[in-house]
Amino acid sequence: MNYSSGQSSDPNANMDSAATRIAVDPDTHQDFEPKSKSSDMSLHDIIAQDVKENPVLIYMKGFPESPMCGFSALAVKVLQQYDVPISSRDILGDLKLKESVKAYSIWPTFPQIFIKGKFVGGSDIILNMHQASWKGELKKLLSDVPRKGDKVQPQES
Amino acid sequence: MGVTKEDVEAAITSALSPSHLVVTDTSGGCGASYEIEVVSEKFEGKRLLERHRMVNTALAPHMAEIHAVSIKKALTPAQAQPQPEPAADKPQA
Repeated sequence: MNYSSGQSSDPNANMDSAATRIAVDPDTHQDFEPKSKSSDMSLHDIIAQDVKENPVLIYMKGFPESPMCGFSALAVKVLQQYDVPISSRDILGDLKLKESVKAYSIWPTFPQIFIKGKFVGGSDIILNMHQASWKGELKKLLSDVPRKGDKVQPQES
Repeated sequence: MGVTKEDVEAAITSALSPSHLVVTDTSGGCGASYEIEVVSEKFEGKRLLERHRMVNTALAPHMAEIHAVSIKKALTPAQAQPQPEPAADKPQA
């Protein structure tokens, strides 16, 4: 999966010339100009697809083997108790991905855990669901996720 | 400077009118990190995610100055009664 920053195809870069062209050329119409939101939309779609394809997906700071934040480390540790394959994405080096994930889940912080395509929460929630007081809610949620040993799949790209 | 424990308590109290609220400053005094336990009737019928969202919303005006908020408990009065919870691991931000 490629999370390109989309810098080169930034539609805003063309704004000035587009505006000029519309003024000069009556045959163009702004409907045919690039939408300023298109790059955000595609990243949104990438996230939607990513969470769908990976039954347990964590957006975190760092990697499962080398988390860069105690909360991310805790969330990974909890998930690893369940013997399910965990996919992870490091948001530290990708500000655009970070902001897009926050917008996608409407959640302000990381880590963010998605299970079976649904946003579950951050580290507090995952820990709470792991604890007895929530009656093994996490276990229930993960029960139909195929086990794959303890394999952790770090991000490619 | 920063956000005081009292600010956090006031924000949650006005939003959730909790029957039990413990705010712990875990930043060592700079006001950047808090742990929160809330018991509120307003959590009734809400999933954990929704409860945490409610707390986050209450704190939203302060979040720019708070580095880390950890919601240890978000329970209804009924839930808070019978079960003493095991102490949670404390991550360091």
